[in-house]
Amino acid sequence: MMRLPKFRFEMPGTLAEAAAIVAENPDRTRLVAGGTDLWPNLKRRHQEAGCVVSLAKVAGIAGIAGDGATGVTIGAMTTLAEICENDMLARDYPGFVRAVRSISAPVLRNMGTIGGNLCLDTRCTYYNQNEEWRRSIGYCMKAEGTVCWVAPGSSRCWATSATDSAPVLCAIGATIKLVSTEGERVIDLAALYQDDGIDYLTKRRDEILTELRLPAVGGAKSSYWKLRRRGSIDFPVLGVGAMLELDDQGVCTRAAVWLGAVRSAPVACADAAAHLVGKKIDENVVAEAAKLARKPAAPLDNTDFVVAWRKTMVERYVDGVLRELAGLPEKVKNPRHGIACV
Amino acid sequence: MTERAMRLVGNRPPQVQARERVTGEAQYVDDLAIPGLWHGVTLRSPIARGRIVEIEPDPDFDWSRVVLVDARDLPGRNVLPLILDDQPVLAEREIRHPFEPVMLIAAPDRALALEARNRLNLRYEAKPIAVEISDALEARVKVFGEDNVFKQIDIAKGDLEAGFAAATIELERDFWTGPQEQLYMEPQGMIAAWEGDQLVLRGSLQCPYYVQAAARAVFGLEPEQVRVIACELGGGFGGKEEYPSLLAVHAALLARKAGRPVKMVYDRAEDMQATTKRHPSQTRIRAGIDAEGRLTALAVDLVLDGGAYCTLSPVVLSRAVLHAGSAYACPNVAVRGRVVATNTPPNGAFRGFGAPQALFAMETMMDLLARAAGLDPLEMRRRNALRAGDETSTGQVLEQAAAADVLERAAEAADFRARRELYDRPQTGSIRRGIGLSLIMHGCGFTGAGESRLKGRLTLDLDARGEQLLVQVRTGSTDMGQGMRTTFKQLAAEILGLELDEVEVAAQDTALVPDSGPTVASRTLMIVGGLVARAARQALTSLGLEEGAGAEALRLALAGRGRLEIEEVHEPPATLFDEDHYRGQAYPSWGYACTICEVEVDMTTFEPRIVDVVTCQDVGRAIHPGIVEGQIQGGIAQGLGYAAFEEVQMHDGAMVNANFNRYIVPTAMDLPPIRVLLHESGQGAGPFGAKGIGEMPVDGAAPAYVSALAQALRTSFRELPVTPEAIAESFLRPRPGKADA
Repeated sequence: MMRLPKFRFEMPGTLAEAAAIVAENPDRTRLVAGGTDLWPNLKRRHQEAGCVVSLAKVAGIAGIAGDGATGVTIGAMTTLAEICENDMLARDYPGFVRAVRSISAPVLRNMGTIGGNLCLDTRCTYYNQNEEWRRSIGYCMKAEGTVCWVAPGSSRCWATSATDSAPVLCAIGATIKLVSTEGERVIDLAALYQDDGIDYLTKRRDEILTELRLPAVGGAKSSYWKLRRRGSIDFPVLGVGAMLELDDQGVCTRAAVWLGAVRSAPVACADAAAHLVGKKIDENVVAEAAKLARKPAAPLDNTDFVVAWRKTMVERYVDGVLRELAGLPEKVKNPRHGIACV
Repeated sequence: MTERAMRLVGNRPPQVQARERVTGEAQYVDDLAIPGLWHGVTLRSPIARGRIVEIEPDPDFDWSRVVLVDARDLPGRNVLPLILDDQPVLAEREIRHPFEPVMLIAAPDRALALEARNRLNLRYEAKPIAVEISDALEARVKVFGEDNVFKQIDIAKGDLEAGFAAATIELERDFWTGPQEQLYMEPQGMIAAWEGDQLVLRGSLQCPYYVQAAARAVFGLEPEQVRVIACELGGGFGGKEEYPSLLAVHAALLARKAGRPVKMVYDRAEDMQATTKRHPSQTRIRAGIDAEGRLTALAVDLVLDGGAYCTLSPVVLSRAVLHAGSAYACPNVAVRGRVVATNTPPNGAFRGFGAPQALFAMETMMDLLARAAGLDPLEMRRRNALRAGDETSTGQVLEQAAAADVLERAAEAADFRARRELYDRPQTGSIRRGIGLSLIMHGCGFTGAGESRLKGRLTLDLDARGEQLLVQVRTGSTDMGQGMRTTFKQLAAEILGLELDEVEVAAQDTALVPDSGPTVASRTLMIVGGLVARAARQALTSLGLEEGAGAEALRLALAGRGRLEIEEVHEPPATLFDEDHYRGQAYPSWGYACTICEVEVDMTTFEPRIVDVVTCQDVGRAIHPGIVEGQIQGGIAQGLGYAAFEEVQMHDGAMVNANFNRYIVPTAMDLPPIRVLLHESGQGAGPFGAKGIGEMPVDGAAPAYVSALAQALRTSFRELPVTPEAIAESFLRPRPGKADA
């Protein structure tokens, strides 16, 4: 049986109070929202904390406001279930809602929050194991050890970004608000991430993610496809978030393709996007863009599925997502693991 | 059997304890609060094979706070008694598999016990290992004896070479299956307490009297000195048949030394790494058919991987060889089965018990033969299905055989022929479809003379001394979710003419109930339930009452003596099966099942999706159709997990994906509704003509799935599991030998 370690626990009522507590000792303090990531990690001793600050009672950081015409703000403490059930979001940001619906299972979406999913810990075969298992291999770089067992010659940790919501949000150009005792700032969501399995967030430890902002939709369409073995529960082994805007002639005016779960951060497929912009979108253009999307993907042998197959699937999934957005005939019918929403 | 209308048999009353299980009120072993309880953990070997040099305790740790047990603490021989007596309770000098128990630690709390374990430094010399069946057969590394063979069984019938000479088509193919984890929701757990000179064991276990026998042997105790209580059981699937004996002895050793009760509950990783799995297998089949597609000769060479110790492997092998010919008549048969030793944790009992491996190979072979003969899988099976009067490979003449009946019913319900023809037409889209079937039979109850040796007992107690009539069924059979308590109440109440709540089933406590034999082998309803029915009828006879007499009549009849206790013993003649030559009646009843599976494969991603499952199973009689359907649906889900998802990844003999994140079992999202047709032939050896149904549903799922995939993809697969990667590989990088057209 796994039990939590001992730590100081705080439940402030305001953001200012929360920020002040975190500022006391940022490196030893952790924030908890729904707890679906942090509590198990603490129990398995992946992560540790001198103090845990719950955001559950902090006023004013939950809820959904606005719509696709003007843009939407979503409080970080909004649960994933609320996002799944929101009609406006389903109408104006269907790719985002599809991504959120693919996260884990209903009970965890009832507890888990959007802020928590954006800050989700990276995952790895050698890390997401119990304490005894990890001790038996001498631990790994991400927690207590020195070696990255995925790539033992490497000087960095290759744990995989596992957030389902980030790729499509990066693709549509979402921003986030970060608050600390020193003030607040708004940054691109894409800038929150960096490609390192340990320091995967650029956010300072004393900053609190309080708000997600979605830009006005305009003519953009977005989608998210998720690859996993089962129709529920599993983390992504590949996520493809894409945005496409076409003019009346079917010429692409804006495009973005982001991959999840193939590196330690969501990955922009800039070449693929650049290939789309300015062109009339047809099967060949999409196929070429999909081929270009393979390059930035670096899946390693630290998730479910065989690496070679995952790499092959990058191209096929990007091709499928873009076809869907461009209204081209579907080649992959119902990617069954991508749209599960039970 | 009387022909009167039945009141309770065939009904679907709520399962006993169903509400408590769902609401969390049911007490599992880890829920029990026992004063002064200590917690035990196990120090295990980090390597597959080698010699223990020394175990160094950290001098900076306060060892007075914990209790340590090693092999020197055993009162007698260091042997866990089972078939071969080859497995030590604790490794002494030699290590033979990864995660082998070496030392036990108990402490007032689990954290301290774990801390102490971390402070023990196990130094060892590693030796070369054998971890695959091929390593074992080469026998360069000797894990057991000179040839690594725990047991060999041969079956011979007819004239094999004459059979091949008569064949117009002959094929020879190899098949492989991997290990499978039982994955009961509740991990292994046991509490041991010494009360005076009596050892009391409470645990999550299928077979109280197996645990009693093991503890008696290790500690040299009389039967009444070992009391075993089966707690509410969170799943077993065979995984709690033999393994709890080892855990019980471990907990008892710690409790004895600590002088207080000790609890040992494995966490998920330890449970998956250290306990038994389904035996991996490698099977070569050579088969011949004549111009009509009828089997003329069948030669099967099957090898199971038993792991480092023998455990129940010879019995698993026995069932495997007896199922090697599936549900088909063949005049000339030779089966050679071997179970070999490797340096992996011992494999053991798992629902199906050797049959799923053999049947996957044979059913897939039948499809290959059908293809070679230009027949569809349905027609191939029609021509070969066993019928009443046919004889099996051991010469057992079948009085009843529903193979053709279940085949036709399932095929009709699934519209098999039309769909098969539809999917045989050229397919060019991104989705390829296929439909496949399997036809199998499963022997219900213990193999051969097993029941004659067991002599399972059951007591029925009718007590009219108080205000109310008390009727109690006392059995050592346990309820692991298969509904023993519910169906036994139905049987007794039906025959005695009582309401369900007028019958109670006593707790599974060796101090209260007799040894009904183990809760295994699909025997509980058929054999032990048969004793319930016999005892109830015996009670009526001795009271001069008719069947269905009712509470009032029973009370009146009992008025003189107050109480009546009936003991029934199951003692079939031992002569029905010749174990030396594998001839005769292998099982009292065979169940028959046809399972049809329809799949879609996405040709862009190679992901298969199971879209429909139809199954027709000859259950003899469904005492509780809801429970029977649940068994069938659960068994098929487990069989499809085996076929399509579950892959035990091994490195140097150790399971490396020992968690829910990487050992993938299907969820409700991954399976379609399973359409169940019950075939009630009424001709089983059990009460009201029931047959055992616990294991049969697992058997046919994997071959049906693979048969469907083979049609969809115009290839065949001969190795389980078939994952998307395996499908992709067969297209992108075909491997000679493992898949063929």
